[in-house]
Order: sequence, then C-alpha cells, then structure tokens
Amino acid sequence: MATRFSEYIVDRPQRLAMPIGIYAGLEITGATVRQAITNVDAQAKAALALHEALHTAVVLTGMDLSVEAETFGSQIRISDNEVPTVVNRLVKSPEEIRALPIPKVGSGRTPVYLEAARQLADIGRKQGIPVLGGMIGPFSLAGRLFGVSEALEISATDPQTLIALLEKVTPFLIDYARAFRQAGAAGVIMAEPAAGLLSPRGLGQFSALYVKRIVEAVQADEFSIVLHNCGARLVHLPKVLESGAAIYHFGAPMDLPAALKAVDGKVILGGNLDPTAVFYSGTPETVSAQAIALLDAARPYPKFFMSSGCDLPPGTPVANIRAFLDIVASYSN
Amino acid sequence: MDEVLKQLYDAVLDGDSKTTAEKVQAALDAGIGPEKVLNEGMVAAMGEVGRLFEAGEYYVPEMLIAARAMQSGLAILKPQLVKADIKPAGKIVAGTVKGDLHDIGKNLVCMMLEGAAFEIVDLGTDVAPEKFVEAVKSTGAQIVALSALLTTTMPNMKTTIEALKAAGLRDKVKVMIGGAPVSEGYAHEIGADGYSVDASRAVSLAQSLIK
Repeated sequence: MATRFSEYIVDRPQRLAMPIGIYAGLEITGATVRQAITNVDAQAKAALALHEALHTAVVLTGMDLSVEAETFGSQIRISDNEVPTVVNRLVKSPEEIRALPIPKVGSGRTPVYLEAARQLADIGRKQGIPVLGGMIGPFSLAGRLFGVSEALEISATDPQTLIALLEKVTPFLIDYARAFRQAGAAGVIMAEPAAGLLSPRGLGQFSALYVKRIVEAVQADEFSIVLHNCGARLVHLPKVLESGAAIYHFGAPMDLPAALKAVDGKVILGGNLDPTAVFYSGTPETVSAQAIALLDAARPYPKFFMSSGCDLPPGTPVANIRAFLDIVASYSN
Repeated sequence: MDEVLKQLYDAVLDGDSKTTAEKVQAALDAGIGPEKVLNEGMVAAMGEVGRLFEAGEYYVPEMLIAARAMQSGLAILKPQLVKADIKPAGKIVAGTVKGDLHDIGKNLVCMMLEGAAFEIVDLGTDVAPEKFVEAVKSTGAQIVALSALLTTTMPNMKTTIEALKAAGLRDKVKVMIGGAPVSEGYAHEIGADGYSVDASRAVSLAQSLIK
C-alpha cells in the first residue's frame, strides 16, 4: 500500500538517502552508547545532532535489538561503545514458552525509545521531516529469547514450539509498533535479520506470516512498516514480500538491481551498501565510489532509496556518512 | 557403498539424529571399520551438506540439524575411533573473540569442521587472547579459528594473533577468521592466514591450511 512515508520517498526531486543508525551522532554529542540506549535525551540529541550536521531527510531513533528481549526478561550486556547484546536464552522448552508472560509496552527500556520518538516527531513535524522508530521483527525476537541457533533448528525439527513462541512475541510487537505510531512516528524500521538465515519457505512460515499480522494491525496511511532484512538474498524476496510492508530494506547479500527488476515498481526497496566494509572501514572516496555504482545500477527504478545495508556501527566516521549523502544529492542533480 | 553406510549418509543428510545413531551402531555391528563409517557415512554426507549449502539448496537450519545428527553418530563412534587409534584430520581451537557474545557463526563453523573429521576445541564466546594461547599450548592444535560479529570486537582478532606471537606459538599454528564485519582484506591486514565467508567454506580453508 502507498503510505505518506512511501510518497515522501518517491515524490521528491532527489533520490532519498537514508543511512541507518544514529550512533555516529554520538561522535558529535560526546555521549556514550550506554547513555544513548538508556537515556531519552542522550538518544534524541544524538539523532538530532546527526540530522542537523548532515541535513538528513529522515530522522531515526536508535536501533537496539535487545530492548524487546530485555522487556521479556532476557539478561543483556550493556557497554559504553557497543550496542547491547542478549546474554542468555530466556526460554528453552515448550513448557517455558507456555509460561512466558507477554510484557506490557512501557516496561523495560521501551519508554526510552518511545519517548525519543515522541520528542523527535515533535521537532520533525515542524520541519516536515519524518521520524522512524526502530524495533525488532518476530522471528529475530524469538531467536533472542530461545537462542538463534536453537530457533533455527526447531524451525526444521519442532515447528510447533517455534510457532508457540511467535504467538507470544507478535502481540507484544503489535503493541510496541502501535506505541510508536501514537508517539507520532511516521513508521518503524522493523529489523528481521535472523529471518535471512531461514530457507525461503521457513521465512514465509516463521517470519513473513507474523510480520504480516503486525502490518495488518498497525500499518496505515500515516504509519509505514519498513521491513529490514539484512540477511535475505534474492531467493527470499517473494516470501519477504508476502509480509505486506509498505517499504523493504535489504542488506549487502541482496542483489538489489535484480530485486528492483523483480518487484517491477510494485513496492519500494532500499539498501544496501555494506555498513562495515563501506561505511565503517572505508574513506569518503571509497564510500562515494560504491554509492555511485549502486546509483548507476538503480537508475531505472524510481521506487528505490539509497541506504546502508544495516545499522551503522558505533564509530562509523561522520565524514563517510556525509560523503554518502553528498554523492547521492549531487548524483540526483 | 555398503547399504548401511548409504542409510547412514542419508540420515545425516536428512538431519535425522536418531537414525544416524542407529545406523552407526548397525555399521559397527556389521563389522565395518570405524574409519570407514566415519569417512564414507558421515564425513561424505557433511561434505554434501556443504555443497548443497553453497548451491543454495540447503539453508542454515538444514545445516544445523545435519551437524546435530553427525554429532549423535560421533558420540557412538568416537570410542571406537580412539580404540582403533584413528587420528582426526587436525585439531582446531575455536572461539568468538573477547567482548563478543555472538555464537551462531562460530557454532556453525565448529559443526562443519567436526563434520569434516577435525577435532574441535570450542572455547565458546568472549574468549580472551590468553585463553586461546593456553588452549593452543595444552592441545597442540594446528589451527586457531577466530570469530567476531562486531566492529568493536574484531580488533581482538589482531590482539589474539599478537598474543600467539608473544607466546612463541605463531609459527606453530595457522589462524583463520570469520564473521560479518571481517573480510579477506582484514585477514591480510591483521596477519591471519585465511578468511572464510561462511561455515561451509571454512572446511576447505582449514583443509588447505593444514596441508
């Protein structure tokens, strides 16, 4: 479906450039990752600082794929310079999954992200700049709660147990997405990286089906789901599209020119310069060269936006992001 | 190929742990030597799993359950291999480097290497350089396999290589690396001996390093 944010992408004179990640903004504000993921002001300031320094066309909240698992009860490890990691498997058996309570949105650190989205959306509204929240997708959350390897294994050996867990996480994710909508965000980037490890059939069965439920519950004219899958390849594309999201965002493994040809303008795709090899380890010159190659390949397709293939890691040089934005702008001109 | 070995091969390929264990036992009971059971029944099957993965016909779940089936067979076979003094293809110390808790890539690599008859000393995640050094000393491993998923932890691969150098072990072991943020170029930069893009190719890399 066409949403306001999808129109914002397509109906603009220049190709949209939307690198994912706010942690580079910490280079400007001087806050730590720990502060940005636990403190509303630190997060909002980092996002805003990046926007103001680089004149980004979209403002994002932080992407932290531990916040939902932590809200369910998982232990996480927080550090000053790295996004948090889930430490343990919270549930290990069908019995534990059955007994797992579905937490309320508003518990754990979810208010940090929702309030950051609200503050940024208030500012964005005045400037005509959309704000997107960040959240995890259903299979990836199930993987964090049950163990990614284990979730992948039971997708083949004990699908009912996996389905029972997906039935627990999906209502929570619907409420979380809805809370971003209520906070005034124009949508959420829903990260479903672990689903790219499944077979196409498994992705359809254990990811797209549940993403679709979230999409049907929350996607509206004023609220888009941007489905991110940094592990998906071309072979996964038809199943990913079954989720019905308005916009899709892929990582480096996706053959984007082929994907753009395959979707034939029916949906919007974005991606996919490697966040580490290109943005983190590269130079402004190499970033520009890689961006031009992708712009050339995507030239025939208006329903495409330029982006990093995944969240930019903390420490990504601002100069590289600036080079990316500049080259996209000058190429379009 | 003996019928029971064919059945064992198929069971590993299907990720059927129960049948794999049964067929290993059946093969041994039929008087087939443990080395033949290992190589023709299981290592061959895991080689096919790797081929199917690289061809895009198998995905990570199929690879994981095949490796799990292999492990169930190895549990029965190992005492017989020891008794017959059959040596592994090589010994590998593996782990995710210090500060990094991600284990799926490392686990897959360990499973596939085990499937190729390597002996694996899995040190787990968040492994300090000195632990790698100790493990190389105590096991006499020929290869150290390092994994990292974070840009902030990948420098600990270099730190580990330096620790091996400082301990006088660098000439005795080959170092292979893998993980989402690392690359062939990074391997070269930090002085590793090889890089693998995935678990399947890690097997051929290890085999080439040990020659």
